[in-house]
Amino acid sequence: MTRMLAITTQPIDEAALLSKRKTSSGMGAVVYFLGVVRGEEEGKTIEAIEYEAFQKMAGHQFNLLFDEMAKRWPVESVRLVHRVGIVKVNEPSLWVEVAAPHRGEAFAACQWLIDEMKRVVPIWKKPVGEA
Amino acid sequence: MHVTVCFHSYFKDLTGCTETTETLPEGVTLAALYEKLATRFSKLGEMKNSTLLAVGVDYQTRDYVLKDGDEVSLFPPVQGG
Repeated sequence: MTRMLAITTQPIDEAALLSKRKTSSGMGAVVYFLGVVRGEEEGKTIEAIEYEAFQKMAGHQFNLLFDEMAKRWPVESVRLVHRVGIVKVNEPSLWVEVAAPHRGEAFAACQWLIDEMKRVVPIWKKPVGEA
Repeated sequence: MHVTVCFHSYFKDLTGCTETTETLPEGVTLAALYEKLATRFSKLGEMKNSTLLAVGVDYQTRDYVLKDGDEVSLFPPVQGG
């Protein structure tokens, strides 16, 4: 399974990421997830979310998740970008691509990866500009 | 032995620092280190049930026996995505 991970302060360039998709002829499903900052957090209107990561450990934990994902599903490739720093409302904070032979495993692997990321990867968020 | 303790997320605000060191006898566990830190930083002590502990880049349980030079991190529940 090939993997690409970026934890970055830069805005997520969806078009550039899509243009770099590479899948073999056996892959029939590529699933994408985009996590976008909502305008409300705990009932309060906000302007942005500030993300903080314990970068070294986040990278390691993401790779452990990728390792486990590869054991559970026949995923050919995973690419993931998580922004850190200030991300404004309506901007993406998370981009995930999972390629697998069939849609069932691609959807399942992608959902599992995001659920596990939210459980173990040391990234935190703080609302900015609460009204 | 000496260990480095790093605080992440709002634990930096609770303790007023990002990093500190502790001098400990051999054979001390993470649980004992936490109790010692809680006496130094009282607001940290209030977070006991929601504190996550890591040594290096891996999560560890409170019965982990510390070694000289370990880098311990304390942080609240994670919130990625």
